[in-house]
Amino acid sequence: MRKTTRKAWALAAGVASISLLASACSDGGNADEGGDASGDGNITLTVATFNDFGYTDELLAEYTEENPNVTVKQTRAARSEDARTNLTTKLAAGGSGLADVEAIEVDWLPELLTSADAFADLTSDSVEGRWEDWKVEAATSEDGRLIGYGTDIGPEGICYRADLFEAAGLPSDRESVKELLGGDDATWESYFEAGRQFKAASPDVAWYDSATSIYQGIVNQMENAYEESDGTPKPLAENSEVQEAFTQVVTESADLSAHLEQWSPDWDAAFQSNGFATMLCPAWMTGPIEERSGGVTGWDVADVFPGGGGNWGGSYLTVPATGDNVEEAQKLADWLTSPETQIKAFLNAGTFPSQVEAWENEELTASTNEFFNNAPVGEIFANRAAAISVTPFKGENYFKIHQAVADAIIRVDVEQSQNPEQGWQSAVEAFQNLGL
Amino acid sequence: MSSVPMIRQSAGPGAARAAARSSRGKAGGYNRRPGVVTYVLLGIAVLVGLGPIYYTLLLGSSDPAAISQNPLPQLLPDASLFDKFSQVMNSDAFSFWKAFWNSVIISVVTAAATVLFSTLAGFSFAKLNFRGRRPLLVFVIATMAVPTQLGVIPLYIIMAKIGWIGTLQAVIVPALVTAFGVFWMTQYLEEALPYELIEAARVDGASMFRTFWSIAMPAARPAAAMLALFTFVTQWTNFFWPSIVLNQDNPTLPVAVRLLQANYFVDYSLVMAGVFLVTLPLIILFMFAGRQLVAGIMAGAVKG
Amino acid sequence: MSVQSPPAPERVAQSGAPRPPRRVGFSQKLSRWDVKVSPYLYISPFFIVFAITGLFPLIYTAYVSVYDWALLGGQGEFIGFQNYTDVFGQPMFWRSLRNTFSIFLLSSVPQVLVAIVLAALLDQNLRAKTFWRMGVLLPYVVAPVAVGLIFGRMFADQSGLVNSALGVFGIDPVRWHVDVLASHVAIASMVNFRWTGYNTLIFLAAMQAVPRELYEAAIIDGAGRVRQFFSVTVPQIRATIIFVVLTSTIGGLQIFDEPRVFDPAGRGGGSQQWMTTTLYLYDVGWGTQRDLGRAAAVAWILFIIVVLIGLVNFAVTNRISTSGGGQPSRRQRRAAARSSRRSA
Repeated sequence: MRKTTRKAWALAAGVASISLLASACSDGGNADEGGDASGDGNITLTVATFNDFGYTDELLAEYTEENPNVTVKQTRAARSEDARTNLTTKLAAGGSGLADVEAIEVDWLPELLTSADAFADLTSDSVEGRWEDWKVEAATSEDGRLIGYGTDIGPEGICYRADLFEAAGLPSDRESVKELLGGDDATWESYFEAGRQFKAASPDVAWYDSATSIYQGIVNQMENAYEESDGTPKPLAENSEVQEAFTQVVTESADLSAHLEQWSPDWDAAFQSNGFATMLCPAWMTGPIEERSGGVTGWDVADVFPGGGGNWGGSYLTVPATGDNVEEAQKLADWLTSPETQIKAFLNAGTFPSQVEAWENEELTASTNEFFNNAPVGEIFANRAAAISVTPFKGENYFKIHQAVADAIIRVDVEQSQNPEQGWQSAVEAFQNLGL
Repeated sequence: MSSVPMIRQSAGPGAARAAARSSRGKAGGYNRRPGVVTYVLLGIAVLVGLGPIYYTLLLGSSDPAAISQNPLPQLLPDASLFDKFSQVMNSDAFSFWKAFWNSVIISVVTAAATVLFSTLAGFSFAKLNFRGRRPLLVFVIATMAVPTQLGVIPLYIIMAKIGWIGTLQAVIVPALVTAFGVFWMTQYLEEALPYELIEAARVDGASMFRTFWSIAMPAARPAAAMLALFTFVTQWTNFFWPSIVLNQDNPTLPVAVRLLQANYFVDYSLVMAGVFLVTLPLIILFMFAGRQLVAGIMAGAVKG
Repeated sequence: MSVQSPPAPERVAQSGAPRPPRRVGFSQKLSRWDVKVSPYLYISPFFIVFAITGLFPLIYTAYVSVYDWALLGGQGEFIGFQNYTDVFGQPMFWRSLRNTFSIFLLSSVPQVLVAIVLAALLDQNLRAKTFWRMGVLLPYVVAPVAVGLIFGRMFADQSGLVNSALGVFGIDPVRWHVDVLASHVAIASMVNFRWTGYNTLIFLAAMQAVPRELYEAAIIDGAGRVRQFFSVTVPQIRATIIFVVLTSTIGGLQIFDEPRVFDPAGRGGGSQQWMTTTLYLYDVGWGTQRDLGRAAAVAWILFIIVVLIGLVNFAVTNRISTSGGGQPSRRQRRAAARSSRRSA
């Protein structure tokens, strides 16, 4: 027995030392693989994305066909939070190890713009007029550096359950629903009013899923919700515009909301139990709805949004300044965000193009979604995108303040541990605790 | 070297243990089989543990629509599970086998190194006399109290400075020996290693290292097997640091399998099939290690 | 020879360096050198690895904590202890401490108690030993994704399994994600699920090193299983109990993963009902505030708290397991065993 013991130990020790050596040798060589120019002028560019940008191997190979000296390699993180942690850690540690092109979400921009120098200025004639102003302004620093090229956006319509509308005796086809919600001049008031009508006929089903998502829809239509355009945070206690929105949302939600937090298990389950009849619906939301609605039919999408157009989410491609091939990387980002390429990405992964020209594209406008009663989603979301007019200013304090208010809405709407007045007071306190 | 009679002469708790070990398995009051209650209690504990793994299999043999309709889509796993497995293993998103081998290398090396170094240090802290022993041990324990979340940035700075970004040693080296392992081995050896055996070996003229190798190592075997198991599992399931420091095309298994998840549309059946594939090697390892643990005790490592 | 060697291991280690063997000349010198240097040599791997991968982060964190330091903006002005006073001024910090301690007590205490009982059950002459041992440890390998998914479904407020089960007994649904204590219980059960088996095996390893003769002697004295457990097992595995209590204190006070996956936002709930201190640290540094300086201050405050609590726990555990419930002390028993054996 003792012999085996010893053998086992010796084996363990042996394995340890050999593997150490092996890993030290084999991996030392390709440590800085990717991004380096090798002798013959050929370069490899890395693109770091998350989720699914629709950049298939075939699509990336097209770039190599046009530029034979460049090979493109994509690294993909599963979730955007993973990608954000990865990006910010490496930036905070000085920027080494970043990909040549790094994808980001629009919500990260306020923070990334505070260290805009870490990214290459992508201002260029070749992208002039490619996007609407609001998409470009969100990625432009105070001193005019453009740090990201827009890929997709999340223009918002209203997704609704035609079967539940019918059961409540309301019209259920797309056009009539659009009119019911207020048509081209839909306001939040007309949306809530339709909800009251619905609730009167169908008291067991909520009008919408969550108060925070409605609040977010409203705030995203304000030009200076929490901060002045120079970045100065507005004192929340005196911010009557936000207070009004807050009060309206939580008051209406008492009756109209399903009191759920988006992405929670209860929210998932509500799709199965007819929990609510409508949702604010950016283009990318159609996937999650379908995923959670196994066996449920009746979802449709209306070409309407309260208060004009609204955008929720969307991404950009940036070029970190520490890369070895900044110029080549910019060319690649330019190509990847061209209307032609983005249309292909859209067809691959459903990422709705941010490029104005792409909205006219026939392949896009002709696309429909079978699950949503064959709605012409391409055309609908192109219309919704064109309706977006406001550029909300989001400085470095935007999300801190937004979180303070959103937490209060959760307390009033989901937890129901506070009434609207207490909720607002606690939001103001949370704001003061931020010490801005 | 040390024969049984000699241990008996050097009477002490250690000798009692050695004697007890060698006499184990023979008849005696303590060796009677336990009653039904024991099995029922343990049975409950095991069921609680098996439940989630079984549930993972169930979700893995289902599909997203069925899962959204019923959280318990079926009662028995079926053959579609294997389709899911092959989907995961042949996914375009990552190279399953490369990730698998990276995970094997990292886990095996860290487990072996941690056991070796921790046992060495534990032997020293528990049984040897040297200046600063006590404060140094307290220091080791105190390092466990450092919150890890913040260490990532400075650690990444170091790895970038020495050019280890994207290499396996960036994951392996920080885990070569842990405070947990050192503390565990110290406490275990303090109880399980009879001091008299060390002295006997020393009197016989064995060097320190020889004493360690032939006395402490065998005595540490059950705890070492467990430490190896724990370290292996920790590294096998480690996600955060490898996801930062390794290149995406050279990942570990958890980092790779995470690619099956996405922000907005998650095919949970596929994710769960992936989760099970990651867990399976651990379950197999458990079976072997479990044998080792039992064997370690029955064999009586101290027995001459 | 070694008959008079001191019995208690602590004293052994302090006073009883192995006597140099009676040899002369070169080999004696070599041996002395061996005795002197080896202890340091053996503990050196830990300190080398720590110096490379642990020390710098610690110093770096301390350095960052006295500066105005944004996560991405980097180093700003030197502001002394401003970050620390800011943290102490945030009600969120104090709430996070309350939550941390509450969850810690709800998880660690039952966990250690159940683990030691399970270990005692396993430390018997069972049929199919390997199966039972590994079965108990299984939850430890279940991937966090699966645990999060399963417990999320179980503890959902409206659609959860636990609430439907309670409904069967006519109990009103518990608001797991709203009530402070309920959320702590739910999170603690997640923690206990994963770590009880782990601690069980640690205890088991220690129990198996307990000399069986002591049990035989106790049986002859007429002690039942419970009595054997308290008068033989517990005192004999004292060092391991200290180990488990200390490591679960340190781990419990740094609890992060379970509260983070408890809801989709991962910020500890709308009113920070279950925001623990590490979660707060993460929120300050990486979440909404993105203030690395303040996060570093939280890290140091937490570090000091954990060390202090660890010391208190060590003292308490040390007392409890040494006093061994009125039984003769370990030393006395050993002395008795020795004398009986000597006469044999």
